[in-house]
Amino acid sequence: MATFGNNNLSAKLVLLGDMGAGKSSLVLRFVKGQFLEFQESTIGAAFFSQTLAVSDATVKFEIWDTAGQERYHSLAPMYYRGAAAAIIVYDITSTDSFERAKKWVQELQKQGNPNMVTALAGNKCDLEDKRKVTTEEARAYAEENGLFFMETSAKTAINVNDLFYEIARRLPRAQPAQQPAGMVLADRPVDRSRASACCS
Amino acid sequence: MDSDSRPPPDDGPSDPNPNPRPEPDPEPKPKESTGEERLSSLTVEDSGNAASCRPPASHGFPPADLYAGDEIEEEVPPVASCSADEIDGAAGEAWGSSSYGGGVSWRESSEQDEDAPPSPSSSGYAGERGSSGKSGITEVDDGGSSQDDCSRGKEHRDEDDASVSWRKRKKHFFVLSHSGKPIYSRYGNEHKLAGFSATLQAIIAFVENSVLCIFSYSGDHVKLVRAGNHQVVFLVKGPIYLVCISCTEEPYEALRGQLQLIYSQMLLILTKSVHRCFEKNPKFDMTSLLGGTDAVFSSLIHSFSWSCVSCMVANNNHCKDIVCGEDMYWKLDKPSLHDQQGLSLFAAAGKILWVVFHLAFDGTHRNPAAFLHAYTCLPLAYGTRQAAGAILQDVADSWVLFAMFMSKHKVVSLVGAQKASLHPDDMLLLANFILSSESFRTSESFSPICLPRYNPMAFLYAYVHFFDVDTYLTLLTTSSDAFYHLKDCRIRIEAVLVKSNVLCEVKRSMLDGGLHVEDLPVDSSVHSGSLSPHLGLDKMSAGSLSSCIGIGGPAGLWHFMYKSIYLDQYVSSEFSSPINNSNQQKRLYRAYQKLYNSMHDKGTGPHKTQFRRDENCVLLCWITQDFELYAAFDPLADKALAIKVCNRVCQWIRDSENEIFLLGASPFAWDGVACGISLSCNITRNYTTCLNNMVFQFSWTNTVDDGLGLCTGAKFTVIFYAPAQIEKPM
Repeated sequence: MATFGNNNLSAKLVLLGDMGAGKSSLVLRFVKGQFLEFQESTIGAAFFSQTLAVSDATVKFEIWDTAGQERYHSLAPMYYRGAAAAIIVYDITSTDSFERAKKWVQELQKQGNPNMVTALAGNKCDLEDKRKVTTEEARAYAEENGLFFMETSAKTAINVNDLFYEIARRLPRAQPAQQPAGMVLADRPVDRSRASACCS
Repeated sequence: MDSDSRPPPDDGPSDPNPNPRPEPDPEPKPKESTGEERLSSLTVEDSGNAASCRPPASHGFPPADLYAGDEIEEEVPPVASCSADEIDGAAGEAWGSSSYGGGVSWRESSEQDEDAPPSPSSSGYAGERGSSGKSGITEVDDGGSSQDDCSRGKEHRDEDDASVSWRKRKKHFFVLSHSGKPIYSRYGNEHKLAGFSATLQAIIAFVENSVLCIFSYSGDHVKLVRAGNHQVVFLVKGPIYLVCISCTEEPYEALRGQLQLIYSQMLLILTKSVHRCFEKNPKFDMTSLLGGTDAVFSSLIHSFSWSCVSCMVANNNHCKDIVCGEDMYWKLDKPSLHDQQGLSLFAAAGKILWVVFHLAFDGTHRNPAAFLHAYTCLPLAYGTRQAAGAILQDVADSWVLFAMFMSKHKVVSLVGAQKASLHPDDMLLLANFILSSESFRTSESFSPICLPRYNPMAFLYAYVHFFDVDTYLTLLTTSSDAFYHLKDCRIRIEAVLVKSNVLCEVKRSMLDGGLHVEDLPVDSSVHSGSLSPHLGLDKMSAGSLSSCIGIGGPAGLWHFMYKSIYLDQYVSSEFSSPINNSNQQKRLYRAYQKLYNSMHDKGTGPHKTQFRRDENCVLLCWITQDFELYAAFDPLADKALAIKVCNRVCQWIRDSENEIFLLGASPFAWDGVACGISLSCNITRNYTTCLNNMVFQFSWTNTVDDGLGLCTGAKFTVIFYAPAQIEKPM
């Protein structure tokens, strides 16, 4: 959840998506500036933190990079519970991963926090020639569901930082006086109309 | 060591010396000591020392030049006088191959020996050609034998049972569901192996049904099929079947134990509630649940065998030959299936025949924990370990069930909540899980895991943080909400560890390694003591060997493992130069494994001591109520000296126990341990097996020990018999 103090936000962010979509790669690109061609499967969930300075505040992301394997699906609520933001990642070269992403969206809508900032990231956009999921299809889906959408490439770093910065900007700014523990406070809903365009 | 060409050790006590050798020389002697040019693959340095230490050939020892090994690493020895009649069904496989009886020690080449008899080339197996042609699949021939980069991830993902390379693998592991769906295969693609899995399932089902007919009750399962030098070992765990097909000559019990560990590793990832998925849907496909865990199983299997690539050839055409021509039996819980049924069962298998091949090797996984059922500690100053333990104890509270501070497979410190105890097998599996998954090293993580020996039905949550590439802290909790608390605990722990210099000490100890046989403290009595008069091994005195740093310990001690029974911990020496080669280490490991199994064979009662000599090495095992000691010596090591050195090893370990063991809440039982030189033995059982005129096994029962439990001050007398004497019943 996003907590506020002295213009400093601390926000829990969770990455969800099919295995092999590139969740860990996105996080590693963002946090460490690294990219591994053969990223190993994540076990359970890995925890990272990274601080971003946006115009009016610093945002400390506490990032949960979850494993995409099926056996961990039932455990996902443990990681997205209380999250202020979620990135749902799919692989633009795999329609299956896009379908899986839709299921994550549904699950978050059902169980998640309505004020959660949710991003849909079509990863591996450097593999244009293997593309299976069109930008238009994904963007249409994102707009329907109130997500903001970007196509990213952890490999070439396209849009990776933009993705996280955009989330940071959209995080609801808490109002210091009324911050009971355990509640996410938002002064405005997610702005649907401003879904970002992507690289293509 | 060539125990496969001999009666298994457990048969020994009743074995009335079937093949006494004529000359009264207990030392290994090449059958063809005619200076024939089989080359040792000992390094020049070793061989120089060895040659200088060896008695002349007139004593019945191999000529010295046999030891003056060239540096030919993969020399394929000639078939030599491999007496096939002495090899019961074990046609020239790794250890079996050593039955050409040369005095060559620890030949690096003997992994190659296997394929030598049919043909020196890797493809010296006619059958594979026909079969592969039939299947129409043109795989790269033997793609695996030179690749040992499989420590991570799936090995040879693109293979299937039609691939030549797949069929050459020496040791396969399969996991399948009771409906025959593949769950895991060590090699190849599970989905492509659906047909093969179905075959395995058919075998298991056939036996179950047959047994049902015969005994009118269920619950019996096929456990072992032996075909030639191959074993097919089955383990049935509810709806999950585990199968190992191996020609590595490891004992049945060892392979079964390995299957058990694979199953437990699966439970660690999924818990036993995965069984319920099969109740709901018998055709449930479990592979998806294990996604991304190939590296975990690969790494576990490596730790079993130290081998990386193994080969098996299955061939339809040869099936009949095997069934008719080789010994084959079924071992069942109720061993009364007729041979006829065995034959038809095997026919149901359709196609399993193997020819042995060759191993490449990955030496990074050496873990006797898999069969010792114990863990090992990182050697550390007592105070350092205490400091680590204190801070772990400090954070252990209602949230933390277990705190494990480890470096690779070695425990630095370990703390459990009250009444919670961690089984060594669970530690092995958890450490394997953590170490084989690169993901844990990337960042701190919080993952569900199950400790099968603690509670196979429930997940715990593991907070894992790596301090450096090897050293990590694992905090286990039952609460899924505890991450931030555990993270805080880790920060506190890390601060203390850094401040008290523990992390530096751990790093240094990892660099230094464990115990080195060369460092075995000198016991002056051994040097000055008299040598066994009848052996004439004075040239092999401990002094002469121990003075040569780097060629092993005194009296030709190469390696030892010591397990403290009460502590559930073991310590093993680092490998020194006589066994500095990966294949040699693996062979030693397998020899230990066999020794372990023969010592723990329930059928023949517990052995206390075993001394075993062949042309590869001398193995000595000593088990008391408190510890088990396994030691390997130079094949020409003097027996009496070897015993004395073992006593010194025990004394050494006793003296440094504070540093090499984690002394916690476990009962501490050093008082009265028979560690001293003296321990009086009354021979209640003795026997020898002389296949190849090489092996001697003795077994003692210590009456003092048996009677009192404690045996301080007793005397340990070892009696050695020259072969001529052994002919007479003792």
